[in-house]
Amino acid sequence: MASLSRRTLASAFARSFMIQGSWNYQTMLGSGFAFAMLPALRRLFAEDPEAMRDSVRRHLEHFNAHPYLSNVALGAALRLEAEGEDGDTVRRFKTAVRGPLGGLGDALVWAAWLPAVSLAGLSLLWLGAPGWVAVLAFLVIYNAGHIGLRAWGFHAGLQEGSAVGQRLSRASLGNLTARVRAVSAALLGLLVGAVLAGRGGLGAAGPSWGVVAILAFLGGLVIGPRLWRPTAVVLVAAVAFLATWGLMT
Amino acid sequence: MMEVLRLSLVGGLLALDATSVGQFMISRPLVAGLLAGWVSGDPPLGLLIGALLELYLLVSFPTGGARFPEGATATVVAVATAAATDGVGAVPLAVALGLVWGQLGGFTITWLRRLNGRLVPVPDGPHPEAVTWAHLGAVGLDFLRGVAVTASGIVLGRVAVAAVVRAWPLGARGSMGLLLVGGAVSAGIFLRSLGGFRRRRLLFMGGVALGILGARFL
Repeated sequence: MASLSRRTLASAFARSFMIQGSWNYQTMLGSGFAFAMLPALRRLFAEDPEAMRDSVRRHLEHFNAHPYLSNVALGAALRLEAEGEDGDTVRRFKTAVRGPLGGLGDALVWAAWLPAVSLAGLSLLWLGAPGWVAVLAFLVIYNAGHIGLRAWGFHAGLQEGSAVGQRLSRASLGNLTARVRAVSAALLGLLVGAVLAGRGGLGAAGPSWGVVAILAFLGGLVIGPRLWRPTAVVLVAAVAFLATWGLMT
Repeated sequence: MMEVLRLSLVGGLLALDATSVGQFMISRPLVAGLLAGWVSGDPPLGLLIGALLELYLLVSFPTGGARFPEGATATVVAVATAAATDGVGAVPLAVALGLVWGQLGGFTITWLRRLNGRLVPVPDGPHPEAVTWAHLGAVGLDFLRGVAVTASGIVLGRVAVAAVVRAWPLGARGSMGLLLVGGAVSAGIFLRSLGGFRRRRLLFMGGVALGILGARFL
């Protein structure tokens, strides 16, 4: 990796925070990936503009992954380009990793880490912590995991290159996801308990609202995500109906 | 006027965080609510609305190509509307407005993503290095989209909510009960996504017990 300076690598890492900036339905993360690679490609192909263009073209092609874990592919692609691997090898590598990086990242970050930390923040708030404490705790805990995952992925990709898959397997991200989901169940219970018994919560709203809320909870539990949009529609319709009814009486 | 402009700029910046730049989650309703509350001069109100919308959007994530409600601009619109309106009905009306505006914000994200497809250089085009300006241009458009969604929501929302808030028939407790019922559905959906009640009953019920004790004694 002698041909890429720390500064160039830092630039690519910083640009990775904008990897979804031009997300589109044709190439998805492709243009963002090329944007993040560009400082390194300019340095690697400083004396061969045509080779640089070819390299940018192959990174502009379709690519999709979880934005945080796309740093694994970014680091590895930088290594492959620096080692002078041919374009087809780089292309094959990116095609092979995009699915796993998307699936692992969605399960770990969107379906486990984010809701777990969000529940922790909400629980703190409902248990009476000052609002700024709950929000600050949410941001600090979430971003410790977020930035740590991005940095780990970038470093792992740079170190391992196309063999980064083994490093991903050793990291056992699936086990980590399972643990975070278990903690989430306890945090969800904590929030439900705090809302049921806390000041200004369902207890204060009265038993009839409590019964309706428990039925709504059971509805969500039995029916699942299909119920989310109808619930939002019913809630908006109920508010509109009550406001109209109030106007007419 | 200046307040609407300030809030719209906040909405634009928070909209960027959701997908385009950073994803530090300052765009989540919990954070956006507090920020919008500060700008509107009522942080506790911002926090309350942010917490309610956070609970609703607990099961909504910015995944890949999926269309999702935009929480950041929706929260800023809801808080700015409630802060400018007196009356018990301000919070439920603003939260309902936030849910509607979140969906509209999601539609504008889809439109922008279609536009981005025309903006970025194609892989076999003549000037691939133009990707830098195309990419930054797309980020700039996302900011402007967030500003426009927030500004239009605040202006229309304040007019609409002011027209009906005095007729709101429920008291403060009933209003909160109604809003928490919506959050209860999200909580149920999330427990199902974790494997369901049977699989998680010990952890979940242990959490409930701790939550009740904490709410009573803290």
